[in-house]
Order: sequence, then structure tokens, then C-alpha cells
Amino acid sequence: MTQRRFIVEPRGLASIRLSIAVPVLSVLAALVVGGIFLALTGENAIEVYGEMIDAAFGSSRAISETLITTAPLILTGLAAAVAFKMLVWNIGGEGQLLFGAIFASGVAIWLGDGTSSAIAIPVVIMASAVGGAFWASIAAIPKVYLGTNEIITTLMLNFIALNIMNYLIFGSNSPWRDPESPQFPQGRPIPESASIPEFWNRLDYGIFIAIAIALLAYFLIYKTRWGFELRIVGDSADTARYAGIGVSKKILGVFLLSGAFAGLAGGLFVAGPVGGLDPRSLDLGLGFTGIIVAALARLNPIAVIPVAFLMAALINAGPALQSIGVPSSTVTMLQGAILIFAVAGEFFIANRIRRPERTDAAPDKTEAAA
Amino acid sequence: MNETWPIELLAAAMVLGTPLIFATVGEILAERSGILNLGVQGTMLVGAVSAFWATFNTGSLLFGLLMGIVAGALISIIHAFLSVTLRVSQIVAGLALTLFGTGLASFLGRAGDDPLVGNPSAAVFEPILEGGLADLPVVGPLIFGHDIIVYLAWLVAGLASYYMFRTKAGLSLRAVGEDPASAEAAGVNVSRIRYAHVMIGGALSGVGGAYYVLSVRLVPTWQDAPIGAAGWIAIALVILASWRPWRAVFAAYLFGAAARLGLTLQTLGEPWNNVPSTLLATIPFVLAIVAMIVFASGERARHLGAPAALGIPYFREQR
Amino acid sequence: MTKTEARLAIELRGVDKTFYGVHANENVDFQLEAGEVHALLGENGAGKSTLCSILAGLYRPDSGEMLLNGEPTVFRTPKEALAAGVGMVYQHFRLVPNLTVAENLALGHPDLGQRLNQKELHNTAAELGERYGLPVDPAARVWQLSVGQQQRVEILKLLYRDVKVLILDEPTAVLTPQEAEQLFKTMRQMASEGRSVIFVSHKLHEVKQVSDRVTVLRGGKNVGGVDTAEAEPADLARMMVGRDLVLPTREEAEGFGKAVLTVTDLMVDDARGLEAVRGISLKIRSGEVVGIAGVSGNGQRELAYGITGLRPPTGGKVELDGEDVTDMNVLAHINKGIAYVPQSRLGLGLAPGLTTEDNLALKAYRRAPYSKGVRLVASSFKEKGAEMIERYDVRGVQPGLPIRLLSGGNLQKALVGREVELEPKVLILRSPTRGLDVGATEAVRNIVLAERKRGVGVLLISEDLDELLALSDRLLVVYEGQIVGDLQTNEATAERLGLLMAGQTEAST
Repeated sequence: MTQRRFIVEPRGLASIRLSIAVPVLSVLAALVVGGIFLALTGENAIEVYGEMIDAAFGSSRAISETLITTAPLILTGLAAAVAFKMLVWNIGGEGQLLFGAIFASGVAIWLGDGTSSAIAIPVVIMASAVGGAFWASIAAIPKVYLGTNEIITTLMLNFIALNIMNYLIFGSNSPWRDPESPQFPQGRPIPESASIPEFWNRLDYGIFIAIAIALLAYFLIYKTRWGFELRIVGDSADTARYAGIGVSKKILGVFLLSGAFAGLAGGLFVAGPVGGLDPRSLDLGLGFTGIIVAALARLNPIAVIPVAFLMAALINAGPALQSIGVPSSTVTMLQGAILIFAVAGEFFIANRIRRPERTDAAPDKTEAAA
Repeated sequence: MNETWPIELLAAAMVLGTPLIFATVGEILAERSGILNLGVQGTMLVGAVSAFWATFNTGSLLFGLLMGIVAGALISIIHAFLSVTLRVSQIVAGLALTLFGTGLASFLGRAGDDPLVGNPSAAVFEPILEGGLADLPVVGPLIFGHDIIVYLAWLVAGLASYYMFRTKAGLSLRAVGEDPASAEAAGVNVSRIRYAHVMIGGALSGVGGAYYVLSVRLVPTWQDAPIGAAGWIAIALVILASWRPWRAVFAAYLFGAAARLGLTLQTLGEPWNNVPSTLLATIPFVLAIVAMIVFASGERARHLGAPAALGIPYFREQR
Repeated sequence: MTKTEARLAIELRGVDKTFYGVHANENVDFQLEAGEVHALLGENGAGKSTLCSILAGLYRPDSGEMLLNGEPTVFRTPKEALAAGVGMVYQHFRLVPNLTVAENLALGHPDLGQRLNQKELHNTAAELGERYGLPVDPAARVWQLSVGQQQRVEILKLLYRDVKVLILDEPTAVLTPQEAEQLFKTMRQMASEGRSVIFVSHKLHEVKQVSDRVTVLRGGKNVGGVDTAEAEPADLARMMVGRDLVLPTREEAEGFGKAVLTVTDLMVDDARGLEAVRGISLKIRSGEVVGIAGVSGNGQRELAYGITGLRPPTGGKVELDGEDVTDMNVLAHINKGIAYVPQSRLGLGLAPGLTTEDNLALKAYRRAPYSKGVRLVASSFKEKGAEMIERYDVRGVQPGLPIRLLSGGNLQKALVGREVELEPKVLILRSPTRGLDVGATEAVRNIVLAERKRGVGVLLISEDLDELLALSDRLLVVYEGQIVGDLQTNEATAERLGLLMAGQTEAST
């Protein structure tokens, strides 16, 4: 008679403790792996990590800078979370953010100096949402009406958006370009009236807008009919159709909403710290980082907030590393490692491992199949 | 004025398409086993930096190639473990791998007291025939004037095709990608086949990445973004090639041409050279989207031949 | 020949297996002789499939031992079982749909070399098919074959591996009576070659017809093995069920009300765009149960989809209570009073990852008390959920956990209960008691009869003739997308139905 070494058994519901412990452990594990690579190349990992913590939290300036990056990251995290929850694989957050920035800066410049802030700021922010949704629609519409796989289309659109932005600033004399600096191409600063006011160092009220949207998203998904339908489609699209839910419309709606969130991230940048369409300050990979945020937050909009803060800290530490001679790509490496461990951690959240006992065995799959 | 531009474009397309062939055929093998690996971009980069480092320190191209293969295979084990053993979301796992691989490659290229970045390669792949057949018009540059890796790509595509459709092992591979439960019932070891093919895919991606930094016709210097978006394009090419290796060769060459088109236009004088380079750079990506929409949608997608179990984690009936 | 002289092909001693607290096999002894057809009889849930899965190497017993030709053996995988000559044809076939018949036969075969020779494979397949009376087209892709043909391929696969012990799990569930006859001939031929066949069934008449010996399982235990020739059907039935069981059956109705569902010349395509329903007309009156018999794959699924709006018909008309609903969307159908219990519980009727409460609200959530405006009222989900769980006796529900953890019977009770709570005018059910144990079958039948009494028009689409005969007032038979028979239940016999199901019209016999 043979005995198995251990059994893997699906866990019904994960405890809150576990849902927090696993992401935290993922970060720690990633730091260890990063530490190994640092050591292999002759760096002192403790020193490097210390420098990173300092750069992110070491002064009032550092914290406010981290919060500045947190705001758009909350939004790209929401963009990924909302889409992935319905198994819509929108990995075009990068491009949608850029188009949000393009629309926002375009509208701001067009409105000009004369409009009051009370009008200009909301209009510019909404324009960014429209911009992101528009860019997402290029992938969403073929998916919904033609069944085209969105993974590849959203991905390709990222690169196209990047090149369009570069074209607007570096490749032409478009209205987005700063006329006061013909030798050195850069984005034209938006009017003061369209800028969100700052209140702590460079930090502006945009962070509150982002948090408010996260809370709204949570309410939408878990407390409304629309959200209930979203969760059904995400679990089983066939069942949703059987229940009378218009699945295509749902997918389109969620896809565009996801794009709008990412676009808003771009809008907050433009109306906030960047102040215009500036490729160098916008091409930060926040769309991709948003995916990491969403995965660590286990697709929960409220959890996105603290996770985004943590990721923002990591990102802001990057430039500081260069000053001590360590490649800033350490940050990207750590981000990737965190995501790998977070994804692996999902296994431990969804399953329980234990030694077999007398009354044990596996669930009867034939039942469920019948 | 450049009258031979079509031939030059095609020849360049073949060179640019060669790393795409390796990555695409590799991913075809992985996806035929049912595993979607979005980590191709990261794997190619890791293969590139490893191959560059190996050649830089030993002067041997062969050693560089081997390192590229090994590095690609090793880093793919992560994806295989996540997808086959832990059975988590393959899409997120692949993205994680690309992120990690991209960061790692960049890190390794810049780390240490004497970083690789900025250095030209110690050795490069050059065309094997000097003069003679390579000087013939048309067939010269297109067929005889390439380096060995271009020919190797053809061999790899041919072998993969034969393997998949004419051998028992290839049959098992296809069965695993279509219906792993039935394959298992017939006695096939699903996990082993998936692990193996994800790693082979990684190894081939590693070769593709290596070619970018070791070929005289490309840019054999280590920089931060040596392969552009090749890994991502390869994933699209798998679909456009209907998961068949020979079609991947043509798709890869097509995209090689698309990538080169910008440069070619600039040599053609007015009015072609007025098109902004930033917009020309979008050609391959626009082509990919259009091709996906036209060839890979709805109705057509069903006859495309996507392995039925692609991307779906396989839960073996527990014993 | 006594048992001690005959060589035992397989012997099980004290085999025990538990799933999640359910004792599927309890201390089971079992003896299989060489060259016999041995029936394994029992109700759904008695443990037959589990026992066979252990024999075939799919599961490993928690305790007990297995002897193959007298030698103690352990199968760790189905591969090892096949190598030792033991193979099983499962209820859900293990064929790769996109590969050809020949490729499926070759898959995983240990004696074939690496180079695949298509011609040789085709010849072998054709030869085998002829020898055993199971002809198939080697070049056809499996998805193109009918269910009966697919089963033939499954059997050929095992014969190609030269298995000595074949296990067939409820093979006649998907066959017409005539196809079942052919299968029995094949089984006897295999037995005459010295192979052993284990034939799992819950149908007494089949067991009597084809087997040499019968073992009865009940509640996970072996309650007795007899020679078929000596066994009385009544005894076997009592052993199977443990009590004198009469499943709920309809009483004659006084009369029926007006038509609640009228279908005229309905045409519906299947998922591939081919015609599946080719001009079906039917009428169901209030308080009437109309049964549709037929082998699976003759358009039943598409008929249900067409009537419920899940697939827009390409022709014809569907009228609900006089109103033309043909081109309306699914939501409109639901709101106008059509309820549907599909054959796929998890994955169509129920969302596997959502909780039981959420699933019970799946169609009613748009209205009070589940929602108020755009907001959901969480307490209503809990309260109404608890109500329904009790009313329909859904057991094993743990709050907050996904519904897929429930057993088949409880899933079905929840599903049928939910549909019935909607107080529909028309209730459509497809194979509602398939795979359910006796208790759940009883419950579901009672619900259907209660709805009938309430004046609901019921359309019962099923492959289970016993169920159809017990519950229907009228019986239609569907074949290749058309209705080929319309009988009053008291005129219907299994034989007549079987002929119609196989496409033989009455006139031609």
C-alpha cells in the first residue's frame, strides 16, 4: 500500500491574514533574491536597500515625492485590477496613460489662460479619462465585435502611443511642443489655471482624487448590480450569458473604464508635477507597474492604495541608486521578482498543503463534471 | 538613387527576421504544449546579455551561443514552475518573467567595476561566403550571403515542423496542448512535456536574443535596449503563423521588412525621406494589430489552430 | 468451473477510498475471472465509478490490495495500468477532439517507433475496426464523429493496446437501444478471446442480458455477487437500493390548460454554424409535461438554446403565452417567464467560483429585494439564500465558500430550486437527474411534478427513458434535428422509442 508525501487541496476562502502575509512575504523574498544578485556583482545589499529606504522615506521631501508617484500608480493599478477581474487582459496601461496625457495637455493648452481653475481642472481631468478610454477602444472594439485577442493588440498599442508622443514633441512642431524652446524639444507647459494646486512640497491634491476613485471603484465592484455582473462574467462568461447579462457590453464597458483609469493617471501627471506633455517624465513604465500593484493587491481596489504607495517608494529609489553607482535597473529587477513571488504566492492562498490523514483524498472531479 | 532597394530590403528583412524566427518557433513549441509564455521578451534579453558576456570574455562565438541557450532555458524554468506545477495565471506569470528578465539583463550589463555596457562584441557572426556565389545578383545577397545563424534558423524551423507533425513525440506534444486530460489517460506525462517545451522555447529565445548582439549586420554592442520589442512581436507572430514553424519564417521575414522599411524609405529621396522617423517606427506594431484583426479574429480564430488547452492550467485528477 | 479453478484476472481485497469525508468505497472485495463479462451494478453514488477508477490506476486506494493474475500489484498511474493490460472507457471520453482517429489510437502507444507512418496507422485502425464490429474512419477528426462512433474509438484504443481487462463505465447511457445491442455483441466477442470485461451499469435489463456474473454495490459496500443466470431482477433491485423504492411518478392529469409555449418550425444552428434544429414544432399546455427523447447530439441542446434565447433561431417562431419572443434577448425570455435548467450545472447554470447565495440570486438580483436602485442589498442575499437552501434541502453549504464544493446532487437541487423560485410559466430541463444519487433524483422529480401541478408547462429533454416515461404526459422523439415521433406516454415502450431514436420511422419496420 502506497502513501503520498503530501496533499494539495483547494482552500475555499482565504483568511485575511493570509491575503496580507503572502504579498508581504513576496516582497521580502524578492529583496532576498535581489540581494543575491547585488552581492554577486560586488555590491553591499544592505547598503543599497538602506539607500533606497532613505530615498523613499528619509525626509519630508522624500515622502512627498513618493506620494506624488503613488497617485498615478493607484490609477494604473485600478486599471489593471478592474480589467483582470473580468479576465480582460488589458496590458496597454502604458499607452492609455500616455494618451490620457496627450488629451489632457492638448485640452489644457487649447483652453488657454483665460478659463477659471474651477472649470479647467475638471475638464482637463475628464479629457484624460476620455483619452485613455479612446486608446483602449482600439483594442476593445475588435475584441468585443471580432473576438481579437487583446493581449497583443493592447501591447502593440503601447509602442505606438510612445512613438506618437515622441513624434508630437521630438518629431514635429505640434501644438504640444514648447515654442519657447526651439533648440531643445520639450513639452509646452500647461496654463497655471489648469494645474492642480500643490500643498506639501511638490505634492498636489491629485493624490486625493486618486484615492477617491479607488474607493469609488471598490463600491462599484462589490456593492452595485453592475459590479455583481462584472464578477459573474469574470467567473464564468457562459453563466453570465445564461443569466441574461450582456457579456459583450460588459467587456466593452470594463475595458473602456480600465483605459479611462490609466488615462487619468496620465492626466494627474500633466495637471500635476509634470505640467505638460514631457516624454522624459512620462515614460516611466507606470502602466506595467500598475499590473504588479494589481496582482499584489489581489485585484482589490482598496488594497491597491497601500500597495501603490509601496511600489512608488521602490520606483523613487531608482534614481538614488545611480548616485551610489548601482544600476537603476535594480528596481525593475526587484519589481519583476516581487511579481513572480506574488503570483507564486497565489498558489498558497488558493491551496492548502498538508500531510495525508486517514480520512483524506482529493475532491471527486467527476461530480462537478456531471 | 537606389534601384536595388527591394533586394536590399529583403536581405535586411531576413537578417532582422532571424532572431524572430528563433523566438517564434520556441514560443510555438511552448504554446503547442498548452503553456502561454509572455516572458519571451525577458528571456531573449537574458539570453542576449549572457551570450554577450560569454563571447566578450572568451572571444568564442560558440560559447556565447551556448550561454544564450542555457540562460534562456534556465530562466524559463521559472515560468514552467509557475504555470505547470503551481498552475497560476500564465499571463501574469509571463509578464512577471519579462519584467524580471528585462531588469536582470540591464542590471548585469551595467553592474560591476567594468560593465559590459557600451562595449562592442569581442566576436561577431559574419557572412560565411565572401565573394563567389554571394556576389551573384538577387540570389547572392538573398540566399548565399548570410551568416550561419540565418541558415540555422531555417534548419530549426524545418526540424520543429518535422518533429511536431511526423513523430510520436510531436503527436504527444500536440495532444497535450489540445486535451491534457485525454493525453494523460493515454499514458502521456503532461507535466514533463510542458516543462520540456517551455524550456526549449526559452533556449531558442535565448539564441534569438544572442543574435542581436553578436551579428555584424545588427548592432553588436551591448546597450540597454538591444532587441527592441522583438519578444513581444514574436508572441504576435505565433498567432499569425497559426502555430506552424514554416509559416513563422515568412511572418518573421515580413516583420523584418516592416522594421527595416523606415530606413529604406530614407534612402529613396523625396518625398519618402520626409516621413518622420518616429512614425515610421510604428510600422511593425501597426502591422501586427492590423494582421491580428484581419487574420486572427472570431470566425477565423476557430480555424486558426490554436491549441485548445492554451493558457488553461491543467489540474491532474488527484490520486 | 468453480471459482478456485478459474484463474482470477483481478482480485481486490478490502479496498477503501474516501473523498472529503464521503466514504466512496468501504472495504470492498471483488473478483474478476478471465474471459467473463462481469457487471458492476448499483445506483448513482454507490461507488461503482470510484472502484473502476482504482482498477484503472486513476485513483489509489487508501487501503486494501489488488492482485493481478494472483500477483500483488499497485498502479500508480493509468499508464501503469495500461501497461499491465487494464484499461477503461470513461463516461466522459478521453479522446483529443482535434486529432484524427488514427492519431488518437497512436497516442502514447509504447510499441510504436518515433517515426509516424500514417498509412500503417490507418490500416491497423481499419483492421481492428472490422475484427470487432466497430468500424470507424481513421482519417476523421474526433469532433466530427457522433457519440456512438467516439465510443467505438475509445474501445478500439484499448484493444490496440491489447488490454486483457476492459472496464466500460455506463457505456449505454449515450447509445440507442440498437447500438447497445451491437456493443453487447462486441463485449461477448472480447470475452470469448479470453479478455475480461467489467460492465458498469444501473440498468437491470442490460445486466441480465449480457453479463456472466453481477456484483452489486450499495452505499460504497459490496452487498453481493451472483451468477447472472441465477439472479432474479427483483432481488438485484432490492440489493441495489436496499429498500423497496418507488421513484416519484406522475398521476394522470384531469386536463390541461391553454398553450403556454408554442414552437413553430424552429431552426437553430449549432456552435459551428451547422443546422442542428431543422424545423421543430411543438406545443406545451399549462400543467403538462412534454418529454423529448433522443440520443445526445441530435439537436437537443440547440432546441433548448433556441427557445430560451441563448441562441437566436435562424428560422421559425417561439411564442410564450401568445407573445412572440423569438428574437428577444435572454433577459427578455427570463423576465417573461421561461426558466431553464441546463445539462451543465457548473459552468452554465451555476457560476462555480461564486458563493451559493450569489448563485441563488443569479437571475433575480435585478429586482427587489436583492437590489435597490443601483445598489445591492447584502442582507437580502443572505436571507433569501438561507430560505431557499432550506426549502430545497441543499446540503453542505458553507457561507462564503464557492458553490463548486457542493456535491452534484446538492448543486442540482440549488439550480432547479432557483429556477422554480422565479415562478416561471415554462420550465425547460435537460437531463436533470443525470449522475444524481437516489435522494437527489427523488427531490428533483418531486419538484418537476409540483410545478406540473402548479400549472407550469414543462419541457423535459432527457436521454433517460425511465425518467421520461415516469414524468411525461406526452413524448416526442428527436432525431437529427427533427421530431420523428409524438406519442402519448401510455402508448410508448422502450422498444418503440429506441427505434425512433435511431431514426427508424414506424412505417419502415
